Amino acid sequence: MDLFLQTLLNGLLIGGVIATFTIAFQLAFGVLHVIDFAVGGWVVLGGYLGYYVTAWLGLDGFIAIPLAFVLFGAVGYLIGPVLYNVRNSRTARPELMALALSFGLFTLLRGGMLTAWGFNTRNVTTTLSGESLAIGPVTVPLIRVVAAVFAAAIAGGLFLFLYRSRYGLAIRATAENRHNAALMGVNIGRLSANVYGLYAGITAMAGVLMGAIYSVNPEVGLRYTLFAFFVAVLAGLGSVEGALVAALLLGVIEAFVSTYVGASYSLLAIFTTLFLVLLISPRGILRRGL
Amino acid sequence: MAIIDRFFSRRRFLGGSAMAITASALGMPSVRTARAQAATFKAGVITSLSGENILGGNLTKQGYDLWADAIKAKGGVEVAGDRFKVEMFYGDDQSSPATGADAAERLIVQNGVDVLFGPYTSGSTIAVQPICQKYQVPMISGSAESPNVWKAKPEFNFGIIPAVDTTSGLSLGVLAKLSNPAAKTVAVISVNEPFSKETGEGFRDGAKAAGLELATYELVPPEGDLTPVISKIAALNPDIVAVGGHEEVLINVVKTSKSLNYRPKALIMHYGITNPAFAQALGADADGTTGVVVWLPTVSYKDDLFGTAKDFAQMAQKKLGGEPDYTAAACAASGLVLGDALKRLGKKPALTPEDRVALKDAIAETDIQTFYGPIKFEKDGPHYHDNIQPVPVLVQIQGGKTVAVGPKEAAAADYIYPLPAWK
Repeated sequence: MDLFLQTLLNGLLIGGVIATFTIAFQLAFGVLHVIDFAVGGWVVLGGYLGYYVTAWLGLDGFIAIPLAFVLFGAVGYLIGPVLYNVRNSRTARPELMALALSFGLFTLLRGGMLTAWGFNTRNVTTTLSGESLAIGPVTVPLIRVVAAVFAAAIAGGLFLFLYRSRYGLAIRATAENRHNAALMGVNIGRLSANVYGLYAGITAMAGVLMGAIYSVNPEVGLRYTLFAFFVAVLAGLGSVEGALVAALLLGVIEAFVSTYVGASYSLLAIFTTLFLVLLISPRGILRRGL
Repeated sequence: MAIIDRFFSRRRFLGGSAMAITASALGMPSVRTARAQAATFKAGVITSLSGENILGGNLTKQGYDLWADAIKAKGGVEVAGDRFKVEMFYGDDQSSPATGADAAERLIVQNGVDVLFGPYTSGSTIAVQPICQKYQVPMISGSAESPNVWKAKPEFNFGIIPAVDTTSGLSLGVLAKLSNPAAKTVAVISVNEPFSKETGEGFRDGAKAAGLELATYELVPPEGDLTPVISKIAALNPDIVAVGGHEEVLINVVKTSKSLNYRPKALIMHYGITNPAFAQALGADADGTTGVVVWLPTVSYKDDLFGTAKDFAQMAQKKLGGEPDYTAAACAASGLVLGDALKRLGKKPALTPEDRVALKDAIAETDIQTFYGPIKFEKDGPHYHDNIQPVPVLVQIQGGKTVAVGPKEAAAADYIYPLPAWK
């Protein structure tokens, strides 16, 4: 029973960790209609910022979280219009061109990081690194709780922003039909830049936490891209609220399969779940995706 | 135009060309004679001189070059009372096995090497083996550690470093002997990727011989989160946790264990902890982690060329600016194998194709003591042509430094066991 409770907690916290970098990914897809391969690159860049803030400045890794939002939000704001223009160009299959562009961006980020910082694995230290809380028979890793709370806060904040503000209304209108939104006076180009900036900033913030929970090197980005994609498929592409539920579900599946069946079967279980969801409910588990 | 025509007529041009060709043809034998007088053995180094494995590739090159420099200082390799110099050629596998096979073929066909020194990675080594077989050129590999290299039973390839499945298995025995109170159980985490999986399997298979009960064997995907596995192992509470993986996973094992407030009495990892980046990333949390190496400058072996292991380390330090690790040492020892085999073969350069086959047979009969340790190649079984003689040395991170802790004859410090609980 103790192991069961610990496994359930592990699963929910793994889900919370995965959710941190998938919620904004969903928002970007909803507005830009691009599956952004570069998501893993933003996560890793955030992780490196966290590392340098701790290693060079001697500060706590958590300080890097707002810095990551400002720095990579600005970079994303500059890249957003490029992606928007490619996605809406008059070339044949612009969606594939945009996919190729994001893949190229990911390759560029990965290669740039390898050249600049090498292959060595780095670590982000925070005041809560390695700290845990014993509640009865269950051990709660505090840094993962921070990540789960962060994911919930981001999801809640985005939800409020999208449904309680005029700009959120404009974003939702653009996600639903960009031509009609443009006719209603929404500046689609600027909105896309803002959304991509918001997405890159939030994802880089999640990257600082990933560096604190796991570790960071240029090669781990692909892993985050894959998991973001798994969650997006399970949640339904573009569904922000679905991302949180899907990430928690994937986390719990991974934890229970790893503990009671064998860790080598965890990816098989995840793929089987994705396959079944695509078969039964192609718009995701909440049926709210595209 | 007329002047040019007068000076550069067709007849003059052809005549001049004929003279030039004749002159070079006459000159060539003299060049050949000069080469024949200063006959040399030709050795080709095939390794990663660019691409993602450039650091390891250079490590192997430096090791092979240390031997080349040492033998040059002695006047060359001794054969039938004379000394013959060794000319080194280099081929870059660009960190890709297929390119490695091409580069090896170029070294053999274009440079006419008599022998090859093997690549840094096991993948490239496996790709080069068929080329050695095709051209009947022996290869001495100072770096390859995967047991898959030797499972293929390569006729022309010989390995200096014991395959990782033997070292990881044997290391558990060394650890069990050092542990006080004696360790009884072990849990193995093995990452499902080449090398890591083989290391984990070595730990798993070596548990019984070490007198340990296997609590669990967990094969984990490289992308997976380790919390469920560590929680499961914590519930089983084995004395030792052994991990087969590269440094990223090793770092994550320590971090995840600490975040779950679980610490086994001993945590052993094969590869990666000797990389300074491991201790750098984990800081004080790296302390107490055990690793396995097959050579250290403090071991008590010696030979006639390099002297003691310490002498070799000093020579390497002088030339390379840093302490050599076991890969560089094994690569330098590869040259000692070649020198010994050429001496026993007794054939002067240049070697004929038949001589190269005989050289391969001579290498197979190697039985020498070197600064690196004993070298003798297996003649059968799953480690065919691998040197599994060296006993692995256990190292432990203590105060941020890697120190030898076992077996007792190689130990420079006491082994910390059991590990204290996390602070």
